[in-house]
Amino acid sequence: MPPLELLLQQAWNGVMLGVMYALVAVGFTLFFGVLDVIHFSHGDIFMLGAFTGLTVLAGLRAAGVGGALLALPLTFAASILVTGAVGVLAERVCVKPLARASPLMTLLATLSLGLVIREAVLIFYPRGADPKPFPRLLPQGGVELGGVAIRYENLAILGIGLAAMVAVDLVIRRTRMGAAIRAVAQEPEAAQMMGVNLDRTVDATFFLGSGLAAVAGILSGLYYSEIHFIMGVTGGVIGFSAAAIGGLGNVYGAIIGGLLFGVLQTTAAALIPRGSEFRDVVAFAVVMVFLVFKPSGLLGEKSVERV
Amino acid sequence: MSRDLAGVWLTEAAVFTLVVAGILAERPWALGATGGALVAAGGLVRFVPRLGAALAGAFARRRAAALAGGAVLALALPLALRSSPYWTFVATLALLYVTTGQGLNFQIGTAGVINLAGAAFAGLGGYAVGLLTVAGGWPAWLAVLVGPWAAVLVGTILFVPILKTRGHYLALVTIAFVFIFNILVNNLEFTGGPQGIKNIPTLSLAGYAFTTRPALAGVELPAHANFYYAALVMAGLTTWVLRRLHDSWLGLALNTLRDDEIAARCCGVSVTRGKLLAFSIGNFFIGLGGAFYAVVVGFVSPPDFDFGYSLVMLSVIIIGGVDSIPGVVLGACLLVPLPERFRFLHEYRLLLYGVVIVVMLLYRPRGLWPARIRRYR
Repeated sequence: MPPLELLLQQAWNGVMLGVMYALVAVGFTLFFGVLDVIHFSHGDIFMLGAFTGLTVLAGLRAAGVGGALLALPLTFAASILVTGAVGVLAERVCVKPLARASPLMTLLATLSLGLVIREAVLIFYPRGADPKPFPRLLPQGGVELGGVAIRYENLAILGIGLAAMVAVDLVIRRTRMGAAIRAVAQEPEAAQMMGVNLDRTVDATFFLGSGLAAVAGILSGLYYSEIHFIMGVTGGVIGFSAAAIGGLGNVYGAIIGGLLFGVLQTTAAALIPRGSEFRDVVAFAVVMVFLVFKPSGLLGEKSVERV
Repeated sequence: MSRDLAGVWLTEAAVFTLVVAGILAERPWALGATGGALVAAGGLVRFVPRLGAALAGAFARRRAAALAGGAVLALALPLALRSSPYWTFVATLALLYVTTGQGLNFQIGTAGVINLAGAAFAGLGGYAVGLLTVAGGWPAWLAVLVGPWAAVLVGTILFVPILKTRGHYLALVTIAFVFIFNILVNNLEFTGGPQGIKNIPTLSLAGYAFTTRPALAGVELPAHANFYYAALVMAGLTTWVLRRLHDSWLGLALNTLRDDEIAARCCGVSVTRGKLLAFSIGNFFIGLGGAFYAVVVGFVSPPDFDFGYSLVMLSVIIIGGVDSIPGVVLGACLLVPLPERFRFLHEYRLLLYGVVIVVMLLYRPRGLWPARIRRYR
């Protein structure tokens, strides 16, 4: 049994990963809420967010904007706009036209779209096949708290992630558009009869979710100091797993699911032999077993079948 | 009546000639011309109703002759592709995808059990062959027959979460399984890690090694011709078996299960039994494809069975036509060779592949050869 400090340290690292997973998972769950589909290219949109962030940062540096305090907000804003627009485009081209077809169709269509996005980055980004170093913009150094090393960088990542989640929560609970999103998620036809513009609401949902993926992408770049064009494959599957653990359609469930998945991964890495290689095996196996006992997630609606 | 026969065989011969010409065309204009001719012929049949109806009628009346003609042409393919041996190998691969595609279609199309772990089950078959032959010293043909049972066995273990979950959650369970499989074979010692298993012995029957180049009346066939014929027999048998199963009471029961579980249960169809049967039968044929792949190529490694190949298998059955047995054959024979044919596009190949799949889904959502409604006489 590893010492308690190690477990605490791993749990803290897990929370860091979990914040990023949660941001991706919220996107999955929001899309599922309004259209009842899984948007599988979301993982690659997460990757696109990271690459857009890197490009914007390079551009800002070339333009002479060096300070992190100015550069980071600009980068986040630009990347959110870009991925948001790509997300809406993806929805218009291949999610909504197929939303009424069998789930298998949207599955294959969005998986293929993810392939297109991935290949486009690989081909059109200069030397796209290589891992790209991501600049360290956050304050370095750290403190030790009860045997757990806490880096300032990680605190900043946690802060940005939490701020993004609170912002989404406010949008969903306090704005007119948020009310429309909730209404469509509950019952699209009734919402339309009450004067909700369905198309605009769906667009807004995809913009919101894809923008969050950009935040997650940049945070992931800052955390690992490196991004790669295939990061969206695992990132997407983990985000989907997190959303499913929490219960598809429930935003809070997705956040809890993301954090759980992150902590599960890092504690598994500490507890089992050769943990860093097999941690994902444990994490995915736990997700499978979990779904046996909770087939619609933690906070998911219990589906009642009618004949 | 003999007009029907002539029509059927002439059509088949014309399509065969155009396809072979398209495969062997080296200059872009030649490829464009044959491709254009194929599209024009397809358009002619589709937009001239009398011609289309006449051909459809001829094929319907002369089914046996049409199948026989197809079989003869399939046997003649390596002979026609002699100048480019690589294409016999690609044709073999396409036939392997027919086998796995039929298995996957029985699960997804007939029974509605979504399985995105096709690559993992094919991998189980392939790795089983690798371990049995290299570590266990078994003869290759025996390993190919036993290997698929590894896929069936692991499938039954995975069956509990599959039975419990529905829809998107079910998709997640199978995706998670592909990732687990890939990480495991990549990191375990006995599967050879990232190197995989090398030097898998080739098939040999009664002392005749399949790698020898067969000669037919003095004409040498390409190196992979033996494998091509073996794969042809395998794909043909698989298609025949699954067609019989699909048309049987089991297939009908699975269809009702797919369309409405509660209604099926009310009619006395056991959900557990039906899904387990469909899942296991499907996994056997998916594993068989993987097992045969291992002896054709001679090695197995983790990237041969990653999630991307699940996607290819899924696109084969959806583009062909879900629950349509001829559709799967068509899908595999289009989707496997086409990216190879367009290798000159280099890195743009996969990008275009993705675009083509999306466009096909938007404009032909029921597939190229949609399943017909069952008719019982």
